[in-house]
Amino acid sequence: MTAPSTLPARHAADAPPIIVVRDLRKRYGDLTAVDGVSFEVSDGEVFGILGPNGAGKTTTLEMIEGMRLIDEGSAIIDGVDVARDPREVKRRIGIQLQSSAFFDELTLVELIDLFGQLYGRDVDPMALLAMVDLTEKAKSQVRTLSGGQKQRFSIASALVNDPRVLFLDEPTTGLDPQARRHTWGLVRRIREEGRTVVLTTHYMEEAEELCDRVAIMDGGKIIALDTPQTLVDELIGRGFRKARVERLANLEDVFIDMTGHDLREDD
Amino acid sequence: MSLGVLWALFVASFKMFIRNRAAVFFSLFLPLIIMLIFGVLNFEGSTEIELGIVDEADNEASATLIEGLGEFEYLNLIEGEREAELAELEEGDRGFVLVIPPDYQPLLGAETGLVAYAANSDPAQAQVAQGLLQQAVGAVMGDSLGGSIPDIPRLAPPVEFEAVESRDLGYIDFLVPGIVGMTIMQLGLFGVAFGFVQLKRTGALRRLFATPTSPAYFLSAQVLSRLLIGLAQVAILFGVGIWFGLQMFGDYLSLLVIVLIGSAIFLAVGFAIAGWAKNEDQAAPVANLVSLPMMFLSGVFFPREAMPDFLADITQFMPLTYVNEALRAIVNEGAGLLSLGPQLIGMGVWAVITFVLAVLMFRWE
Repeated sequence: MTAPSTLPARHAADAPPIIVVRDLRKRYGDLTAVDGVSFEVSDGEVFGILGPNGAGKTTTLEMIEGMRLIDEGSAIIDGVDVARDPREVKRRIGIQLQSSAFFDELTLVELIDLFGQLYGRDVDPMALLAMVDLTEKAKSQVRTLSGGQKQRFSIASALVNDPRVLFLDEPTTGLDPQARRHTWGLVRRIREEGRTVVLTTHYMEEAEELCDRVAIMDGGKIIALDTPQTLVDELIGRGFRKARVERLANLEDVFIDMTGHDLREDD
Repeated sequence: MSLGVLWALFVASFKMFIRNRAAVFFSLFLPLIIMLIFGVLNFEGSTEIELGIVDEADNEASATLIEGLGEFEYLNLIEGEREAELAELEEGDRGFVLVIPPDYQPLLGAETGLVAYAANSDPAQAQVAQGLLQQAVGAVMGDSLGGSIPDIPRLAPPVEFEAVESRDLGYIDFLVPGIVGMTIMQLGLFGVAFGFVQLKRTGALRRLFATPTSPAYFLSAQVLSRLLIGLAQVAILFGVGIWFGLQMFGDYLSLLVIVLIGSAIFLAVGFAIAGWAKNEDQAAPVANLVSLPMMFLSGVFFPREAMPDFLADITQFMPLTYVNEALRAIVNEGAGLLSLGPQLIGMGVWAVITFVLAVLMFRWE
């Protein structure tokens, strides 16, 4: 590794691509939900897909994950063609779905064990639950979890197969600022383990915090793709100025300062 | 096929059912409660004696006797051939069969030649009924000889009784097979349709697709766990039924076969509904539309003989009708599978139809 230590842990240029997406398309009748999307994700990178609702983020993600049929184009993950062998791809990736629903009547430990079985693995449920701070809820049923706990459990369940690539679809939507920051920490730890993370989000602050590079989608196409800093610099370079210059702190900083970083679980 | 995966999903599916209180209540306790209510109500209430009459004399004297007996409200007369009537007696459908011999003589105190065959299944009841019958016959003969004779019982009894081994079937014997049929229908329709549609709606099912395990495993595990629960229910219903006096004349293996085929039919219907419906609100009316007519027209609680003919003709082809007929034949008459040809064919045809329907209508999302 020759990259200077001041750069993010691993940068696009440092590693060979682990995800290669070429000209991906999906049509529903007259509607073209995904219209020729191409990008590459490097090994160890955190890659964000941003965009307004209906931009085609989730559809793109689901085609790459092998959850949805690809109409046109190709996606290759870790050398495996998704269209050709979706099962092998699923063996190598972890998926957190937007709706984090599970079998409500099972306990967290039982579910982690069950998911382990589905990959043919014996896993240590307590270690995974400890990683997402759910040790105390180990023997509880899923239906007793709060929204944030469910999201974290969902991430833990996506890690049972020790995946090389983790897909997170809006992992912090609906969470309070404390829970969101907690999830950010979790994503950073996952990245430090050497995994590649692809996530979608509505929160620009989240993308800036977490992502090495982001793709901005609209109308089924990628309209911009670069590091957050480069995208901002380009905009400023085109002469853009905020009507009001950002203050040194904003209301969210006030909120966090007053309510602390501690997780509130009884939401 | 990986058995480990199947087993893990089977255990999960079983736990999910057991921990879902509503599902347990509706599929395990409701049938039991219905059975207890109907068992306690006991629809046998009628005190009429079913009296089969075999008139071998066929003369004026025998006609007088039959006419006279017909006046007694507690006697329900059915005339027929000797063998047919004796068979009915064995089935438990007659209290007595009175045979009027060719040389019948309406002489009090002398040999009348009248023989009554009595079901020996309920001695106490038979005793009372015998007395009533003696009295009736004596009174009729007294009348026909002119004048009432109050001290008939002290004369030689006009009727000679012979005991016949018979099955005395109570309402519980009718009810339990019907409830068993109803239960496996409800389990297939509601147990599967609702649980599955819920998993579909919340997205829990999609989470399974994110793993490399084929969804067919989940489906198989779901079917196997429901079958096991169905068998447990049947066992409980039988246990309670026997405690209530249910008599089992057939063999349990035949019963098991019918229960499994019946479950397969209704599970297929359940999966067809669950596969088609997007949410519980869509599934509920369809499941009710399928189950309600059968619950009342397939002979669960009341004999189908009580229906108007046109209704009985239509409803005889319903899947639950075949299942119930087969279950009753086994439980009440000791029938073996070989003698259940028509029912097995009917069930087989329905199994094929519902399976094809399930395959055509099933959607994972």
